[in-house]
Amino acid sequence: MRFAIPRQDLNREAFASSIPEFNRRSDLMKTDMGYKCRITNVVNLTDQEKLFQLRIVEPQERRIFRFKPGQFIMLELPGYGDVPISISSASSNHEFLELCIRKAGHVTSALFRTDPGMHVAIRGPFGSSFPMDEMAGHHVLLVAGGLGIAPLRAPLFWINEHRDRFRDVHLLYGAKEPSQLLFSYQFDEWQTISHIRLHTIVEHADAEWKGSTGMITELFRDISIDAKNTYAIVCGPPVMFKFVCSYLDRLGIPMNRMFVSLERRMHCGMGKCCRCMVGSTFTCIDGPVFDYWSVMNLKEAI
Amino acid sequence: MKNPVYTFEKLKFASFEFTCCEGCQLQLANREASLDAFFSLLDVRTFREISSEKHDDYDIAFVEGSISRSDEIERLQVIRKQAKILVAFGTCACFGGVNSLKNRFSTEECIAEVYDGQPIETLPIRKISDIVQVDLSIPGCPVAKEEVERIVVSLATGSLVTLPKYPVCVECKEQLNTCMFDLGEICLGSITRAGCNAVCTSGKTPCLGCRGHADDINFPAFMELVKERGLSVSDLQEKLGFYNAFEAYRDDET
Amino acid sequence: MIYKVIAKPEFRKFIDALVRENTSFGPRQVDTAANGNPIYQFMPVSSVEEIEFDYTATASSAKHFFLPFREELSRFSFNDSDFKQHIAYEAEPVVLIGLRACDISALNILDDVLLNGHYPSPYYLAKRKNTFVIGMDHLPLPDCFCKSLAHHTVSTGFNLFCSDIGEKYYLSINSSKAFTYLKEFQTEEPSYEDNCLLTERRKLISRSFQTEVDVTSLPSILDIEFDSPVWEKWGAKCLNCGTCAMVCPSCYCYSVEERFDIDLKGASRNRKLYSCNLVDFAVVAGGHNFRPKNGDRLKYRYYHQHRGFAENANQQICVGCNRCGRACLAGINPKDVINDLRMEKESCMICVSQSPART
Repeated sequence: MRFAIPRQDLNREAFASSIPEFNRRSDLMKTDMGYKCRITNVVNLTDQEKLFQLRIVEPQERRIFRFKPGQFIMLELPGYGDVPISISSASSNHEFLELCIRKAGHVTSALFRTDPGMHVAIRGPFGSSFPMDEMAGHHVLLVAGGLGIAPLRAPLFWINEHRDRFRDVHLLYGAKEPSQLLFSYQFDEWQTISHIRLHTIVEHADAEWKGSTGMITELFRDISIDAKNTYAIVCGPPVMFKFVCSYLDRLGIPMNRMFVSLERRMHCGMGKCCRCMVGSTFTCIDGPVFDYWSVMNLKEAI
Repeated sequence: MKNPVYTFEKLKFASFEFTCCEGCQLQLANREASLDAFFSLLDVRTFREISSEKHDDYDIAFVEGSISRSDEIERLQVIRKQAKILVAFGTCACFGGVNSLKNRFSTEECIAEVYDGQPIETLPIRKISDIVQVDLSIPGCPVAKEEVERIVVSLATGSLVTLPKYPVCVECKEQLNTCMFDLGEICLGSITRAGCNAVCTSGKTPCLGCRGHADDINFPAFMELVKERGLSVSDLQEKLGFYNAFEAYRDDET
Repeated sequence: MIYKVIAKPEFRKFIDALVRENTSFGPRQVDTAANGNPIYQFMPVSSVEEIEFDYTATASSAKHFFLPFREELSRFSFNDSDFKQHIAYEAEPVVLIGLRACDISALNILDDVLLNGHYPSPYYLAKRKNTFVIGMDHLPLPDCFCKSLAHHTVSTGFNLFCSDIGEKYYLSINSSKAFTYLKEFQTEEPSYEDNCLLTERRKLISRSFQTEVDVTSLPSILDIEFDSPVWEKWGAKCLNCGTCAMVCPSCYCYSVEERFDIDLKGASRNRKLYSCNLVDFAVVAGGHNFRPKNGDRLKYRYYHQHRGFAENANQQICVGCNRCGRACLAGINPKDVINDLRMEKESCMICVSQSPART
């Protein structure tokens, strides 16, 4: 066998037996290997939304997994598929991970049938994050529409934990109906302990609702914004952040101080499959967090 | 611990035939390697082709064939009442199939020609969804067992049941087949739903569209390319009519 | 790089030795088209006799040897409420014979995307490392336009590249493996005449191109022409069949699908090469399609091919082989689409200069 080409077995190389570390991009690693997680708690928020608390099983993997507010993971329910989910817990919480998930497709539907004690896999963290350090020393305006509160929770936790670094913090939160306002059990904590100025609004009030009614932009009438010294994070459906951002733009907040989180259906999370491309930008690598200027420059973003 | 996501109940399954060759049901008994596992997913309540037992407590009914007699309509309606999920199984059930060729003639002509004028009741061919509501369609003449396995697994596990939205060309190119148009033939592959693994074109037979049209096809462009290549439009119409799977497009001359 | 020349009969002996001891693929005629043209594909070969060294171009590219149309990425086995995940990088040594310069350029582009990006793909790497690539130059077909993209020559990405200089092949040896195997055969150092013949050959190839596509500042034109009616015009012809992406040597977009094993004891995650022209490429959870129209999807493919994405440093990934143009039933081809776009751009510039300033 003088001319037989020798086989190079990648399975024997060091990376194939080590834990993938998604934060260290450009290292050869088992990109499709997930960290196994145990579901430790499931909180029913509404009929359509649940909060899943996960714990990475292997201590070594738990140590490696670190994320920044705004990043997402690929959550895999073996057999059913994997879906991109933004991380909803504090980046300082190294023990547990929280994911706020809406029942939207078949993977999330199957996920809704899971109970604590079962296992799922996660890959990541992937993508860009909110520039929390850069925002320090400024007023912060957090605007959430509907499920937009999910990606907003990570920066909110960050602000709560580093409250002294930020000036006034407003959280504007709108939903279709009062019952769809998520995490209402935390409202008191945010307001009383963290001194977040919370303003809620619903489109359709019910009998008990005593707050404001209408679109989220109406909340701007209640607050004064120091445009020169304010950073804004806007999370919600594209129509909503388009309205909110153009309003904030008129107020004079620079476009590169407004951040949004885009949603696309990633298949790989690693800038390969091209399913999440917006124009010629990868939502999974360059996003999901973009400043508004970048979004304006993305073809087909909104 | 019983796992609610990975513990699965067998599907209470029944299979029925109407006007057809029963070839699609025969496919269910094909692919020996996975046959055991396949039937482990099913609690077969009624399936004449493989078992003489007959029970009426099924949840999922596979219905093969098209409808050509009034007693078939009654039988089908009974099945519809019982089944939680009624599956139009095979091209005849989904579109009418080859049987639909009959509809080009009058009933009298058919009886005279086929049955030598004997007193036989026969109606124009109709597909299953013309009579009752269909929950799921699995097209194919015959159905592709691999796809059936995938769909039954999805039904059993409660995961997403899908058919490819793209046309046969994708799978044909995967097989490195030579394009039938390059060989001077009219092939419906570029407008027909994939899922068959391009079995006909791999055998150098042009696609006749037994799986129906893919999602959002560009029929005018297809028509145009047939004309541009100087191929016969009447041949194309013949092919489109073969399985009756392009009803909406057949006489679209645009 | 080491250069040698080898007489053609000796070269055939060398190839035969390789082919007999390795799983090998080379160009073979698979059909004759209705117009009389032979149709070639990279097919399994077991002796040198089966290889058509004088082939024109294969209908499908050699991409699938590195990026299979379907590939299992990982497996799960279930055990009560727990599971185990397994990943293996399957790749056996393969010899690929007869790739054109543009085909090898396409591999270099795939290297950029899949190995030099943020997350290198071990699946691709395993196959790339285990594939012995032998390139061969050729005279361009009338519709080849790789010269417009400077991919008619290639200097990396192969083990061995052979230029036809008449009685002999001029070999560019780019791997120690190739060098070692060739030691067993009679080769010579290139003479002055051989070098001249090589230069002549290259000149001949270079001036034989009949199709030219002006790609200067194309990325910028694409950016400006995002809403051009050109996309609607060509979109109206597009069948959404995905053929262009399947035969393309550099299209790599894919979809990930997960499925249970039929015995429900395990599951697999699979990659399937996809095409941005397919109707559901940009569908998101809830069913919204970000590119519902043919023209949107066609445009997107041209964006990827000719504007490039960040993962490969915004380089064009089209190599100019025109396989997509040849395979397209609707007659959509890069040359006509790009020329159209350019015309549009030029007429637009006139509009801009004549229109009143925006207020």
